[in-house]
Amino acid sequence: MATPSVSEIPGGVPPLSAERPVHWPKRTRARLSSGFEVILAESRRVPKLTGELVFRAGNAALPGATPGLAAMAARVVRTGTSRRSSRQIEDDLRRIGADLSSGANADTTTISFAGLSEHSRPLLALVGELAREASFAEPEFERERRLRLEEVRNDRATPGFLAAERLRKVLYGAHPYSQYAPTEQQVQEYRREELLAVYRRNYSPAHAVLLLVGDFEAQAVLAQAEEIFGPWRGETPAAREFPAPPQLRGRRVHLVHVPGAVQTQILAGCLAINRKHPDWLKLVLANAVFGGAFNSRLVMNIREAKGYTYSPRSTLTPLRRAGHFTVFAAVRNDVVAATLTEIFYELDRMRSLPIPESELADGQNYLSGLFSLGLGSQEGLLGQLSTVAIDELPGDYLETYRGKMRALAPEDVLAASRDYFGSGNLQIVLVGDRAQIAQQAALFGEVDFYDAQGAKLPG
Amino acid sequence: MKLQIPVESKTLENGLRVVIAPDESAPLVTVGVYYRIGFRLEPRGRSGFAHLFEHMMFQGSANAPKMMHIKLINSSGGVLNGTTHYDLTNYFEAVPSNALERILWLEADRMRALKVDQENLNNQRDVVKEEVRVNVMNEPYGGFPWLDLPPVAFRNWANAHNFYGDFADLDAANLADVQAFFKTYYLPNNAVLLMVGDVRPPEGFSLAQKHFGGIPAGAPPLFADVSEPPQTEERRGTVEEKFGKLPAMAIGYRLPPRRSKDWHAMAMLDMALHGGRAGRVFRRLVMEKQVAVEAEGGVDDLFGLSGPTQMVTRIMHKPEFSAEATLAEFDAVMREVQDPGVSADELQQLQVKFRSDFYSSLEGGMLPRFGLMHLLACLTMFDGDPQLINAIFDGFLAVTRDDVQDVARRYLRRESRAIVFRRPASIAREAA
Repeated sequence: MATPSVSEIPGGVPPLSAERPVHWPKRTRARLSSGFEVILAESRRVPKLTGELVFRAGNAALPGATPGLAAMAARVVRTGTSRRSSRQIEDDLRRIGADLSSGANADTTTISFAGLSEHSRPLLALVGELAREASFAEPEFERERRLRLEEVRNDRATPGFLAAERLRKVLYGAHPYSQYAPTEQQVQEYRREELLAVYRRNYSPAHAVLLLVGDFEAQAVLAQAEEIFGPWRGETPAAREFPAPPQLRGRRVHLVHVPGAVQTQILAGCLAINRKHPDWLKLVLANAVFGGAFNSRLVMNIREAKGYTYSPRSTLTPLRRAGHFTVFAAVRNDVVAATLTEIFYELDRMRSLPIPESELADGQNYLSGLFSLGLGSQEGLLGQLSTVAIDELPGDYLETYRGKMRALAPEDVLAASRDYFGSGNLQIVLVGDRAQIAQQAALFGEVDFYDAQGAKLPG
Repeated sequence: MKLQIPVESKTLENGLRVVIAPDESAPLVTVGVYYRIGFRLEPRGRSGFAHLFEHMMFQGSANAPKMMHIKLINSSGGVLNGTTHYDLTNYFEAVPSNALERILWLEADRMRALKVDQENLNNQRDVVKEEVRVNVMNEPYGGFPWLDLPPVAFRNWANAHNFYGDFADLDAANLADVQAFFKTYYLPNNAVLLMVGDVRPPEGFSLAQKHFGGIPAGAPPLFADVSEPPQTEERRGTVEEKFGKLPAMAIGYRLPPRRSKDWHAMAMLDMALHGGRAGRVFRRLVMEKQVAVEAEGGVDDLFGLSGPTQMVTRIMHKPEFSAEATLAEFDAVMREVQDPGVSADELQQLQVKFRSDFYSSLEGGMLPRFGLMHLLACLTMFDGDPQLINAIFDGFLAVTRDDVQDVARRYLRRESRAIVFRRPASIAREAA
């Protein structure tokens, strides 16, 4: 059955009025004397500023290292410097009305912050201190390691985590992107010296970028940044070799057994592309039409027509060296096979027929509007600047995105769907109770069974 | 420095209050319609109904059949959602400002006449059940503590029932319930319309009049009594944790009445206790004594509540510490804020941070300026004056150390608190 859709706007609906032009604020780009890049944009709705200090190295940059080491280092970074104790750091942040967090993913390490404009200088000074003078005191490290251990244990009871972890392992194989999280054992084995080594290597001005958005005079804040970060010197760490991810052929099911689960989480996916690829915008549009928007085929079918699930969606995950496409739905146990059938039906429909012009326009308008929402807050704008900087996109990416999106045709969407919605080779992860869903799973391919710890179970 | 937010408001003849906060810095507008009905006042025997009903508001109205509403907003470049709270239900969209009139037309259409059938109801009942499964029944610590604590803390059914809904009650809900609920509460005179962003007030008011002006008012809803009988001793309860490995607990203390002097002082006390990693609860339990893995909480949506509510601390602790040992550390924090109380330096930090957080909330949230919209809606609905947005601050900055110590002594009392424990099944099994 075709997805019900409304193809015409009925009488009485007010038309859209003339669009007001969308202007992204001017960016001030500068290189500090330490060689690292600063990008600033003024946004003056509230008297605050928000920013990120990003290092272009994360967990995947460390060949042979224990998984999650960069994330662990980032966690300890905020707990003390040569000048301030953990408690002092937290009090000082509160004193200037600021928030700060530090973290690392596969590709980057980031210190994010936001605070009152009037206190920009002490905030930047603290960020600089964390980046250069973190002390990694043994007691702080030990406490954070123990906390991480408990988190990892709890994660393994969380279906969304188990699904994401299994799919990463399947899709990326020997590539470090397969390392989604450490095991308990690996966290047990973290050593303070390893974290220090990661800190010395990854926290270098040679591959850093500082992004600032807020209610300020760009030149004045730039001068503060120069004062704080200017004298910093560091090396660009040697790049590592990345093994290729596997070329997976044929559908396969990977079932993570959670005894007693009252629902099954479906996460199916395949490798795709990242933002630098010339097909990126075409794929973004195809994804929005397929399952990336509320008004998408997937949501209208398995939620609004069939009531199988609450928040189905498809997602593109662009990483630095690769990317993947996923379809997610959490469904009641007796409709796992029915849901998968609809997912494949909708994927294959995207791959077989060009989308109607009206649906194309709906998708283009949606993505254009969504993109301009970034202008509505300092945080939204920072996110966009950060994407451009980290993914090394052209300087006019923000200004040209909407025009390029609107220039796409149904054939572009068809081509992107054929190239990247790999329904024939889709890897299907199911997290649920084996006794309830194994028979349904077997209809879609050979099934491998795992427990929550990642150990393979007999078939 | 002080931020002055321009706000204009007007009441239409049918009682609909219209609030506009213009800001032309970007061609975007966020629109909200707030109805004064939440899950606290849903009908008995129909737990979860206010939320199920919220889903039905997306299922079709007189001139916009099922799926049209969502399609028209997405294809105008916008995003939308709705949420159900204790005392209100809201529907909101953020769109490029050239779609403003279309959005108002859609919101007016569903305020005027909901048009849904049995198939729609069956469909959304299924969707809501999956929502409950994904957020509560199949998720570690699902519903902790927002569904666990009320039945322990409160005696009035309005405050104490299962807000997501027992499945039997969801199954019992029928189309007559849907239409009755709509007729009783979804009235222009029980609603606030908000436009925040790129809209000139005269134009916004005239569009509001054009699309909403003809919707007839109804009898003002009679709100049931939500008051609680006095509490004289600590209340405790236990819920089994099916998936998670760590024991958890939530401790709730009753809040003073909205916008009272105590309420302002309590907000500062809340920040002293729960203000992130600098907060006293986190500092002692996680950083210093290291009994807990997480310790956080506070007053959820300070401005958005009009009935009995609590300041809630959520603690997840290490299995080698007993619940009583963990609670003893928590109690030590409660004693500290009673005597000697917060320091002058600490209060100054709290007030700076409160101001900073307030600014952020105005700009951000789920959609651009969502926080500003929400605040304006609550100040209009519960306090009758959106202009309070530019004055509300002063009450918090006027709070003194003595005020904070005073509310700590009067409100942080064992006999007026409730505690719910989440006990992991895995630990119970090992002990057996």
